[in-house]
Amino acid sequence: MKRFLLGTAAGAAMSIASAAMADTTIELQRFFGACDADYGTVTDVSAAVGECGIITALVNKFEADNPGIDVNVTTVEWPGYDQLNAQLASGAAPDVVSMHYSVISDYQSRGLLEPLDGLLAGQGIDPAAFTDAGRGGVTKDGQMFGLPFDNWTMLFHVNTNLMAQAGLMNADGTPMLPNSIDDLFAMGAKFKEATGKPYLVQILANETAAYARVLYTLLQQQNSDFFADPTAIKLNTPEAVAAVELMKRIKDEGLSTEAMDYPAAVSGFTNGEGGIAINGTWLIGSFEAQSHEDGNALSGGGYTVYPIPQFFGGRDSTYADGHGWVVPKGALEDAEKAEAIGKLFKFLADNDFQWARTGHLPAVSAVFDMPEFQGLPHRANIAEIAQTGTSLPAEVQRQFAIQDIIGEEVGSAVNGDKSVAEALSSAEARINDLLANL
Amino acid sequence: MAESYRRSSWKNMLFVAPYLTAFVTLLVFPLLWGMWLSLNKVDLFSGAKFVGLKNYARVLADPVFAQAVKNTALFVAVSVPSLVALGLFLALALNKTTRGSAFLRGLFFSSSILSVTIVTLIWRVVFIPGDGLLAVLFEAMGWTPIGFLSTKGWSLFSVGVATVWWCLGLPMMLFLAALQQIPADLYEAAALDNASKWRVLTRVTLPSIRSTIMMVAVIQIVMQFQLFGQAQLMTNGGPAGSSRPIVMYIYETSFVRWEIGMGAAASEILFAIILVAAMVQYWLSTRKEEA
Repeated sequence: MKRFLLGTAAGAAMSIASAAMADTTIELQRFFGACDADYGTVTDVSAAVGECGIITALVNKFEADNPGIDVNVTTVEWPGYDQLNAQLASGAAPDVVSMHYSVISDYQSRGLLEPLDGLLAGQGIDPAAFTDAGRGGVTKDGQMFGLPFDNWTMLFHVNTNLMAQAGLMNADGTPMLPNSIDDLFAMGAKFKEATGKPYLVQILANETAAYARVLYTLLQQQNSDFFADPTAIKLNTPEAVAAVELMKRIKDEGLSTEAMDYPAAVSGFTNGEGGIAINGTWLIGSFEAQSHEDGNALSGGGYTVYPIPQFFGGRDSTYADGHGWVVPKGALEDAEKAEAIGKLFKFLADNDFQWARTGHLPAVSAVFDMPEFQGLPHRANIAEIAQTGTSLPAEVQRQFAIQDIIGEEVGSAVNGDKSVAEALSSAEARINDLLANL
Repeated sequence: MAESYRRSSWKNMLFVAPYLTAFVTLLVFPLLWGMWLSLNKVDLFSGAKFVGLKNYARVLADPVFAQAVKNTALFVAVSVPSLVALGLFLALALNKTTRGSAFLRGLFFSSSILSVTIVTLIWRVVFIPGDGLLAVLFEAMGWTPIGFLSTKGWSLFSVGVATVWWCLGLPMMLFLAALQQIPADLYEAAALDNASKWRVLTRVTLPSIRSTIMMVAVIQIVMQFQLFGQAQLMTNGGPAGSSRPIVMYIYETSFVRWEIGMGAAASEILFAIILVAAMVQYWLSTRKEEA
């Protein structure tokens, strides 16, 4: 019995000692996909490609550089806010979460996020080091509630192999792109005649975000102030009708692939099922890499990328948003964990160039001046989006719920399930009901 | 005073206490709490404010909810008879003691053990445009491909096909169990009377398993009214909300819009719909039996 008691006491002492020596664990929850099979052990960040590869390698490198800190990554299906809501409501939130700038105010206004000014200052991160768009995206009521990571927008990803086949390349090797609605349909018809394929590869099925982003872009290009009042949207307007009718005409005249969801649209573009993919900045790195591999429609360097052209006479604008890292309330109470999170944020800010290789615009101003960044392919083509990228007013709440409603209703109009006027009225009524009952 | 009552003691409660505790904690309390929430304006992160029946009025006036009810009712009206008929057909076909039957029983039941994620992945491979199984088949036959997951009408149909494939195992097993309970002498008597196979089926087999048919129908009505995962993962309720079921409306209202009170009101309405549908089915079945 004595031996048993001594053994138990020794075991307990060892557990306490090992607990005292245990690593600090950061529970990090993010979207950007899962790719452990390819990048689970990669610590050479420069060897990684794409959002998932680069963020996985960045976390691996951080853990390798900081032996006392474990980062336990939970990957959620994009965008993961429903899951986060349930976690926050049940008091089981992670320590660090990836979050779009457009939804930070939803959580910040309910006191669910930690202000990070002190944490960032403690690591020597100067708020002035970030771009205006990045800092503005995470700043609410004068405080920073997130670490800015990037800015993104939708772009025209161009298959130059197919463009050449359609005779839509300039002598200098750049593709001819439309400068007006008439241009768009003329080039689309020419492309289809030459290649037998639709001009555009769009995400038109099982998704709402793409419809909403394109609508916002087309409204901004007409100077439509559809959120002049952040608590009520105005969609029963001639500008909104013109935008949705353009989107519908593109589909009706066969200028676009049909019925493709997000994965189908991404693989459809690399399989050569259309000439121009309307998709986000995050795909530049992956498409560029594929254009230097054999066996796909972009092989032989057949890829380039440009901002969405200006189709309306108002102003050159594209809807933009960004990704940041936020800390749910309470995660900084443990000083050791707060220190570890601070180190992680410092590491992510210091490596913003690596993240910018995805195609996103960097959130750290200095990255723009780095020769390595300037040497990245196609960045000169899209440099203007730093000026033309425009987000919704920060005061607009529930932007993802709004996006879902717009996507569903505009999708109904584009696919012919509702008239344009009916879809816009329904979207306006549903969004305003949502915003009136916050 | 009855003997059983005289011998009763509060100590007997101890025997049922563990179950009763779990029942009250996990079923009765959430049910009552849900009812209370439905009478309040409350979101995920704020306190409750009593609003009476306002949430119910908003839900019932919402055209999106009306569309979800219509979608769900249509889905139940088609999927439940399909599940009962196919389950019964398979049970009748496989109610044998051969090795082949045993293997096929296991095969048909195997889909039931898969998670909804796997089921929808399998059926997405069948239905997706471009590289999907049906798309390839249509292309080979020279037919115009159908956007099964993105066309109004077809999207709910596709969710229904995946659901019937997934849920078929349980009805089949319940019918098999019932078929094996039918006394063999009934069939012997029918054989002596030289009854045809159809007459044996309609006069011996089906009347003998009538209560199981009713039970399977009620279980499936309750289950299929709660359609969610398949629709969420295969079509996201689209296009134009044409495959959005009631539970998805509840989910979106509660977790995307954060309106827990309104979501709870929609849940209570769904609870009432399921209760009424199951009761009507029960009443219809028992009325026939009595007649």
